Amino acid sequence: MKTDCKTVKNSLGAWLDGELSASETERIRMHVEGCPSCSGEKEQWERLQVSLRGVLEGEASGVAFEPFWDGVSRRIFAERPWYARLWDWAGLAFVPQRLAWAIPLVIVALLAMFSLDQFFAGWHWGSNRGNGSAVDSIDGHGFNVAVFRESKTKTTVIWLFENQEDEDESSGEPASAESSF
Amino acid sequence: MELSDWELVQRCQEGDAAAFQGLVARYYRKVFMVVLGILNHREDAMEVAQEAFFRAYRNIKGFKGGSAFYTWLYRIAVNLSIDFQRRQKRTPTEFRETMDELIDKREGAEFAKDPYVDFQGKELEQRLFAAINELTPDHKAVIVMRAIEGLSYKDIGRILGCSEGTVMSRLHYARKKLQEKLGPYL
Ligand SMILES: [Zn+2]
Repeated sequence: MKTDCKTVKNSLGAWLDGELSASETERIRMHVEGCPSCSGEKEQWERLQVSLRGVLEGEASGVAFEPFWDGVSRRIFAERPWYARLWDWAGLAFVPQRLAWAIPLVIVALLAMFSLDQFFAGWHWGSNRGNGSAVDSIDGHGFNVAVFRESKTKTTVIWLFENQEDEDESSGEPASAESSF
Repeated sequence: MELSDWELVQRCQEGDAAAFQGLVARYYRKVFMVVLGILNHREDAMEVAQEAFFRAYRNIKGFKGGSAFYTWLYRIAVNLSIDFQRRQKRTPTEFRETMDELIDKREGAEFAKDPYVDFQGKELEQRLFAAINELTPDHKAVIVMRAIEGLSYKDIGRILGCSEGTVMSRLHYARKKLQEKLGPYL
């Protein structure tokens, strides 16, 4: 059966988009190859597609990620209550390579605890341990943090020692919490 | 090793905001292109594309992975764009000024290699935007998604909530209209 131009032109888009069955695809291809009018129209449709994509890609290539993400994150953070924002922030700050944050944080928390202990020695939990001494040790991402407390003399010794090979990670600063995108 | 969309989505669902940043980095240009194609206005397109990602973030727990993440994301972006355009109809003059300004700004930043070719390209670009602007938002959406992403009719149908047959007839109509307007420039 001879395929007429009107039928072909109606299916031209679907044919170019690869949305026709194998037999239909073949039928249209045969016609277009031998028909200057239909092949001219096919080329126009292809140029239309290419121009449209080119124009939009040109516009999008000028959009940088940082300002775009700023707009998105501003929306995310603006509507959320403070505790949810804190959670989001924690999510951004404590991905694995940023765990180095935890070390100074733990040290500060321990120092705060023991200085309180010295002020309220009479009734603080620290004094319930009698006159013994205690050693707490925390493994902190390549460092060991050890705390020695002696309640009679009210002495607290905190020391840090390395026992692993991955030193660089532990020296991470807050700046390294920037995303790698 | 690069994580798949679905892996990043699952991390977002567990509360990892950095994973969402990864998804935005992966898709923001494509989403911007789709939205710009529908709205034909750069600032509006920025706003709407950002809003689309924000809504995706807010609803990420509802995404079950039954379809590809980007079709879900495009659905949000396209629906927002169509709503936005229906609410804010710009006059043709306003539109032409915006697009001319936009194209001039970009051309100014590039080196014009051949003034004749450059003029022709610019002329086509301006006419193309003007012709697209005369289409309805639904027609714009199909033609833009097909042109940019080469999405299948099935995916486009899923995004727009219509059948493949409807996608095919909308595309055909939109292309015919553009061809009528742009014939001599193509
Ligand atoms: Zn023919």
